[in-house]
Amino acid sequence: MTSPAAEATSVATIRSFVGSRQVRRRAWYDWYAMGFAVVLFAILASDVLAEPFSRLTAAPGASPPAQAVAGAALVVAAAAGLLVLAQTFGPLAIAPADASWLLLSPLNRRAVLRRPLTTTSVLAALAGAVLGMLALAMAGPYLPRAHHELSAWLVLAAIGGAGFFTAAVLTAVLAQPSRRQRGRLRAAAATVSAAAVLLGVAGRRWSGLAHAVTAGFEHISYLTASVLAAVALAAACGAVLMARRMLPLFPAGVLRDDSVRAGRTRLAASFLNVPLLTWVAEDNRWRGQLLASRPWPRLPNALTLAWPRLSPAFTLAWADWRRLGRRPAPLAVLVASTLAPALVAAAITGHARGLTIAATVLAGALAAGTQGAAALRRDANDPTLRRLLGVDAGAALAARAALPALLSAAWLTVALTVLVLAGALSGRLWPALGLVAAPGAAAAALRIARAEPIDPSQRGPDTPISTPPWLATRAISALLGVIGCFPLLKAVRAGRADGGTFVAQLALSVIVLGGYLFFAAR
Amino acid sequence: MLTCTPASKTGPGAPAAHPRYGEDVTEPTVVVCGMRLGYGQFVVLDEVDLTVAEGEIVAVTGVNGAGKSTLLSCLAGLHRQLAGTLTVLGSPPRDDAAFWRAVAIVADLPTWYPGLTVREHLELVRLTHSPIRGWCLPADELIETFGLVARADAVPLDLSSGQRQRLSLAAALARPSRLLLLDEPEQSLDAQFRQELAGLLREGYAANGGTVIMATHDADFATAAGARRILLAEGRVAAPGLAGPTP
Repeated sequence: MTSPAAEATSVATIRSFVGSRQVRRRAWYDWYAMGFAVVLFAILASDVLAEPFSRLTAAPGASPPAQAVAGAALVVAAAAGLLVLAQTFGPLAIAPADASWLLLSPLNRRAVLRRPLTTTSVLAALAGAVLGMLALAMAGPYLPRAHHELSAWLVLAAIGGAGFFTAAVLTAVLAQPSRRQRGRLRAAAATVSAAAVLLGVAGRRWSGLAHAVTAGFEHISYLTASVLAAVALAAACGAVLMARRMLPLFPAGVLRDDSVRAGRTRLAASFLNVPLLTWVAEDNRWRGQLLASRPWPRLPNALTLAWPRLSPAFTLAWADWRRLGRRPAPLAVLVASTLAPALVAAAITGHARGLTIAATVLAGALAAGTQGAAALRRDANDPTLRRLLGVDAGAALAARAALPALLSAAWLTVALTVLVLAGALSGRLWPALGLVAAPGAAAAALRIARAEPIDPSQRGPDTPISTPPWLATRAISALLGVIGCFPLLKAVRAGRADGGTFVAQLALSVIVLGGYLFFAAR
Repeated sequence: MLTCTPASKTGPGAPAAHPRYGEDVTEPTVVVCGMRLGYGQFVVLDEVDLTVAEGEIVAVTGVNGAGKSTLLSCLAGLHRQLAGTLTVLGSPPRDDAAFWRAVAIVADLPTWYPGLTVREHLELVRLTHSPIRGWCLPADELIETFGLVARADAVPLDLSSGQRQRLSLAAALARPSRLLLLDEPEQSLDAQFRQELAGLLREGYAANGGTVIMATHDADFATAAGARRILLAEGRVAAPGLAGPTP
């Protein structure tokens, strides 16, 4: 008896059929653009990585123990974060068109999925190799090695990092069909990340802890590292084998949903489309959940009588408050992320240190603010509800600015306090400075939330030598954040703040948020 | 005229016949007993009992959110039931090559390949399901039947929503199957073509032994297809074999 699968058309034939009918083949300028991008990326990456890798040849005294511990913690946290990111959007996914036409068919599923699995494995191995070498660079000054062994250590670190990270990502592939297993893996990665961040920050505060960790580094012999690399390689090979064995049984329903989501994510990320990214992230979250409906809150009568416009605007804005209350996990992540600037401050040295801390502070403030603008994202382009409630655009936007401003204020205050406690900043003014900088960050968060989705067919040509117009509109939101928080960011970069900084920040925050509300609501 | 496409004409080097999924099964095409369906904590359908015979057309009706699409998704094995038993062509949905050779589903609009035309999408379906054995229509005839002659060489992204719906339905009939699951096939279709589609399902697909289960809100379409109507209400099968207006 001949099995049906054996008679079916091969996946290679199908791919050839589809590939040969592509509208446009790659021309020389496409290859030029790609080569240009690769070279540019390599130059930028080498500039960023030069400082950490310079520690490999540094003497132990050149890098304090706290810095080595914080650096290693940062690498571990980054690996855990990458794993969660990969797991959120797959990690095994095929092109949406393939999911529509090849998945629910008699084609050999192993053959359909082999290429995406290979891509996932290669990307994981590359990322893991870089992470492994970075971890080595962080611990480098404390490793017992002679200079002539440096390349061997690098090779071992790359193999170890690639092996362990590939095994982790493929474990996520194995867990992909089960919602429960996915949740467990995400929780484990979050725990590892939180522990690493805490260790990194604590190492800066308590030098004994940092010394204990670096003493551990000194006991890692060349032989131990070789064994670890071999174990990592074996783990990766085992994970690859298990994943390949699982391919024919990979559930079509899960793969179809994940592939469609990954396709949307790629599209949204390509155009920095935050509303679509949020929708992708939240779509699965709310489906299947039963929420306790509660009556819409009412303002006290005295307030309503005093400001008749306030009540409906407040009603409209309340959706964001309620959503936030129903999602404690992002809040917990936000609280944990307040440690990030301190960890960066502990791990990074050199001329880019101040700028990196300031960038982390701004990114955190914007992320906190956007958490309070989700409902705004959803109905930014639909004024129906606003008209229904009889709220004018200005009042609605002002009411909706309150939560992003509060969240940004809370995040900045805590993050700056942690920076002070960790010894990265000195003075008592920082928490207050965080409070007054929040409106500036809130204006940027509101603009990010209100940015209209980009229609790919209307975006204009992308060329290697010109900035796509859509990128400029997205960059303006970040620029608004930089302008709104400029005195704070400048002070963080310099490590000094005084009364003048406070006054300047207060004035700028009021101007930026007020100006944004005035112009955006017109 | 509707034609049968023999394997010997279309299959590349088609070998001798092999048993198809559920071919030797004498029991009904679909048997559902006490099935419960839901998402997380939310139960959509409970205690669903349903039997569909070979060659039968069944229209599942119900208000929005009644669970029609979820039921179809479960029959295709894309969604797992919380409780109860489900048999499709003699065994639980297996999500393997033989199952997808026997079962076709048209639910959400598919994502189209940007470089393929209407005709090429249909050819792709036949290629992925070759060797072709059993009743189905060749690409040219489908293009004519589904009114896509003028747009046969256009890419689907250039079609209207109704034409895309026609194409996705045509794709389901471009390959043989024994069970066809359609989620609101009447969407975006004009009244005249709905009647033509109903006739095609009744006189072409079902008459050749295929079973159709479709979720629909169009009573006339269901009647024209000669469908037995099942009403889903309040999370249960409220009226099996209903013969009234469709919600």
